[in-house]
Amino acid sequence: MAVVAAGALALAGCTSDSGSDDNDTAAEGGGSEDMSEESGDSEEGSEDSEDMGGEEGDTARADLGDVTPNDDSVSFSSGAEEYNAYNGDTAATNSTYNAVVNNQLQSGFWYWGTDGTIYPNEWFGSYEQTSDDPLTVEYTISDDAVWSDGTPITSNDFLLSWASTNPESMGGAEELGFDPVSTWSTYATEGLETEVGSKEFTVVYPEPYPDWEIAVSAALPAHVAAEQGGLEPDELAQAILDGDAETVSQVSEFWNTGWLFPNYQVEDEALVPSSGPYTLEGAAWESGNQLALVPNENFFGPAPATGNLVFKFAAPETHVQALQNGDINVIEPQATVDTRQQLEGMGDMVAVEDNQQMTWEHLDFNFAESSAFSDENGGLAAREAFAMCVPRQNIIDNLIAPIAEDAQVLNARERFPFMEDYQELVDAAYDGRYDEVDIEGASAKLEEAGLDNPEIRIGYSAPNQRRTEQVAQIKSSCDEAGFNIVDAGNPDFFEAGGTLESGDWEVALFAWAGSGQIASGEPIYSTGGSQNFGGFSNEEVDAAWDTLASSVDPEVHMEQLKVIEKALWDNLYGIPLFTHPGIVGYDSTLENVRPTSVQTGVSWNADQWVRAS
Amino acid sequence: MLQFILRRIAISALIMFLGSILLYVLMINSGDPLADLRESRAENREQLMQARIDNMGLDEPWWQRYLGWLTGVSRCFVLQCDLGTTRDGASVNALLLASAGASLRLVTVATFLAIFIGVTLGVLSAIRQYSGFDYAITFGAFLFFSLPVFWAAVLLKDFGAIRFNNWMADPAVSTTATAVVALVFALAVASLLGGSLRRQLVTGLVTFAVVFGVVFAFDQVTWWVQPALGLPLILIGALGALGFMLVMTVGLANRRILYAGLVTIGLGLVSYFVTGPLLEDPANWWVIFALAGATVLVGLAVGWVMGGYERRTAMVVSVGTALGMAFLVFMDRLLRGWAGFLDMAPGGRPIGTIGENRIIPERFTGDFWEGIFNWGVQLVLPTIVLTLISIAAYSRYTRGSMLETINQDYIRTARSKGLSDRVVFTKHALRNALIPITTIVAFDFASLLGGAVITETIFGWRGLGAMFRQGLEFVDPNPVMAYYLVAGGAAVLMNMLADIAYASLDPRIRR
Repeated sequence: MAVVAAGALALAGCTSDSGSDDNDTAAEGGGSEDMSEESGDSEEGSEDSEDMGGEEGDTARADLGDVTPNDDSVSFSSGAEEYNAYNGDTAATNSTYNAVVNNQLQSGFWYWGTDGTIYPNEWFGSYEQTSDDPLTVEYTISDDAVWSDGTPITSNDFLLSWASTNPESMGGAEELGFDPVSTWSTYATEGLETEVGSKEFTVVYPEPYPDWEIAVSAALPAHVAAEQGGLEPDELAQAILDGDAETVSQVSEFWNTGWLFPNYQVEDEALVPSSGPYTLEGAAWESGNQLALVPNENFFGPAPATGNLVFKFAAPETHVQALQNGDINVIEPQATVDTRQQLEGMGDMVAVEDNQQMTWEHLDFNFAESSAFSDENGGLAAREAFAMCVPRQNIIDNLIAPIAEDAQVLNARERFPFMEDYQELVDAAYDGRYDEVDIEGASAKLEEAGLDNPEIRIGYSAPNQRRTEQVAQIKSSCDEAGFNIVDAGNPDFFEAGGTLESGDWEVALFAWAGSGQIASGEPIYSTGGSQNFGGFSNEEVDAAWDTLASSVDPEVHMEQLKVIEKALWDNLYGIPLFTHPGIVGYDSTLENVRPTSVQTGVSWNADQWVRAS
Repeated sequence: MLQFILRRIAISALIMFLGSILLYVLMINSGDPLADLRESRAENREQLMQARIDNMGLDEPWWQRYLGWLTGVSRCFVLQCDLGTTRDGASVNALLLASAGASLRLVTVATFLAIFIGVTLGVLSAIRQYSGFDYAITFGAFLFFSLPVFWAAVLLKDFGAIRFNNWMADPAVSTTATAVVALVFALAVASLLGGSLRRQLVTGLVTFAVVFGVVFAFDQVTWWVQPALGLPLILIGALGALGFMLVMTVGLANRRILYAGLVTIGLGLVSYFVTGPLLEDPANWWVIFALAGATVLVGLAVGWVMGGYERRTAMVVSVGTALGMAFLVFMDRLLRGWAGFLDMAPGGRPIGTIGENRIIPERFTGDFWEGIFNWGVQLVLPTIVLTLISIAAYSRYTRGSMLETINQDYIRTARSKGLSDRVVFTKHALRNALIPITTIVAFDFASLLGGAVITETIFGWRGLGAMFRQGLEFVDPNPVMAYYLVAGGAAVLMNMLADIAYASLDPRIRR
């Protein structure tokens, strides 16, 4: 007893009261969470935000009305790679991890909707196609549009964008020395028609260019580049208009390297003004860990909802637990059944949404002489036999549906099920003949092709569990029809000198990442195309691509796509399987988190994320 | 001794030099530094490749590249190190400083904790060989030793961060949980103290009652959200520290030393009130270090004045007691900062699963004590992972070494001449048993640096491991060589320290 009594005495003075007002506030450890929610509520100005955010089929940004940034903080991670460049347009810096941050710092004429639709940013400016021949587009920048340092956004900035793509008319890369990823000037060979410091400019494309709309988006601050290159802002613009390569080349070194953060710190905030909802000016950057952006006070578009947008640089394998603990509020983990179950196991705290990505899986035939599917050997009949026995619906049911409930078989190549005109395209191109597995039909076709138990090597880049399982399912079905399917997955399938190049495959199983560009399929399906790995060749397809690529009329595009898709089905270039499923998990108190099919990822509208009441 | 140290340094330098050549050659031949560009579709591919070739000196022969690196490094002797640049042109010096800070912070704490706890457990389980305590420690050691790091880390994040934070939202300990905790303590203490069954039963019951009472009392006063030690606990702790120092040295035989320790505690009590305002919110760590220095001086003075013929021992005991008490005062202040930190933590969740700081330092507004929590809480989980794994090894080695020593003839002699258990174990056995441990400590520190690569990744730390891995991936020798300098340097340095410690522990080696 004495010990207990002494213990009670010793413990008498053992609690502190510093740091909090009284016991009660301190006792509610979770109290500040509630408080932040309340503060989010008081800032929430618009009543219809919830409806807009959740509306089915709406692929544009929600209109949140008048928003004032609150003091809250929302965090996101795209992986362990750290943000390191304000200029994400150079070949060395063009990466997702730079893009997710720069999207918040640099706004432009348009943005991608969640299904790949292009929507204009009306507050930034407007653009209009004024002529078909030659293709002419007039751009007008809003009078309100300014950089966060107060300098107006003008044609000067877009002149530099153009010049930084090393136009041949100025001597190309050798004279200018920029290191760009964009190839705008190979289409807009004549440059911009504009005055120095104008709010308007016109772009003329001598050749029809279907993807003209996405060629011009955001620009980098030309006044900063000019000053760092030892020029006046207008001097640089004039030099570009005059085609004075020597003067312009003075800024290329800064353009290539001056907007990098090799030490993962913003060393001079004056160099990185913002034209987007958030800015690096006043941001907090803990190297190697996180970067907190703050609202751009001079932003002329709709203000961001949350006062601190934090990007965490954390390895993907840590994301799920970090979400559960509130360290990261929005994650886009690898879409697997395990991840989905883990996220759903977290209860009401975490919301899970799935969607379809623009990346799509497909089986492509090899048309090389050695292949069983080439016209010299089995030919079309063999390809049809294979298409009949591939259990597409089974693959979806077993591998994809557990992750994304609305998964379905993909029946087109250039449009995806979540797009408006997908059904129209499929109706015109494909009659459903390979929807059901038909073993008997396949055997008959195989006999017709004159092949006896042909060995079919399905090649893919291993290790990839999902693809291994797909091959296993194909094998169990097609072996019945008389094929001998071999799993030929290996790690160097795609590498230089690997299996794909050497041609040791009959069917290749891989995915293309849809870019949203209109003519990007041409090198895949046309004769001799650089991405036509199987060596497919069809005159009808080639001609249709030519027509498509030389037109800027959406109706012509659709018409030609129908021709192309039908020809690809009839001649069996390959078999589309499914669009990759995507998963987004987020703190369920957040509003306006919306997955997107586009490569920009879930952070496309991060400036609208806000904690709800 | 000096000659011995110089010889060791010379040999170490030679090993580092030869190792660096080997690693450099292996490194630059480990892959194709241009691999990513070869597959690039950029139109100016050739230009990019040329830029990288120039940047990394890929067109030079290996020895020229190595000499270039060595020249930069050799300038370290005039304090102008130049470790080169990464392939993207970032300075490796800056990179190394940033990442080495994080890694060393992680590894140092873990190493010291592991040594202290591991050796203690090892000694105790050797003394109580074949007791329940010994079996429990052995079981635990094998369990932790064979834990895969990544798995342990993920589990720990679940329990130590996610569930702990959930619990902190409304911290209450159920009676059952209290009883279980008390029972575990009771069993441990009872089997540790040993004795007859009756004695063990009494010890167990008393421990159970005390622990149960403490946890219950803590729970009643919501200690978990507003903890502190308070003066009574500090005093009890200080007496405990004095007791420990006495047990490790002379016992109660020399009353002067006991009194010196008690006077030290008395002075500590006075200074607790004197330094109170200063410790409210110290300007920086130097204040803490200065106070610690003052504490040592006071301890020395008390021991010197009161020690009498055993002056040295008295000084050691007073200093140990003073430091123990100072540590408790520090912890008391630190604990009082917890409530404030809880209020600041995002979402009221104090421990994060990733990151080196809970709140971005630039945005942190709390005082000195809350500031310690800001990085301290993030250090806890990775440290536990690293510590658990090394404790296992330490406790096994120490136990083995201690058992071997206890069975030596001179221990039997010591016992037979009537020395008490305390003297036999602390004076005769422990010191000799520690000799082999020093080697293990040295190796362990170096291997922890390497082993921390996984821990760093899982806990989202950007340390040496990340730098090393990225360098390997890009076939970029400079970051990898910088890692080598630190990790290899640590290994060589620790080995040297081990040799010197050997020499001072065992005079026979000093030749």
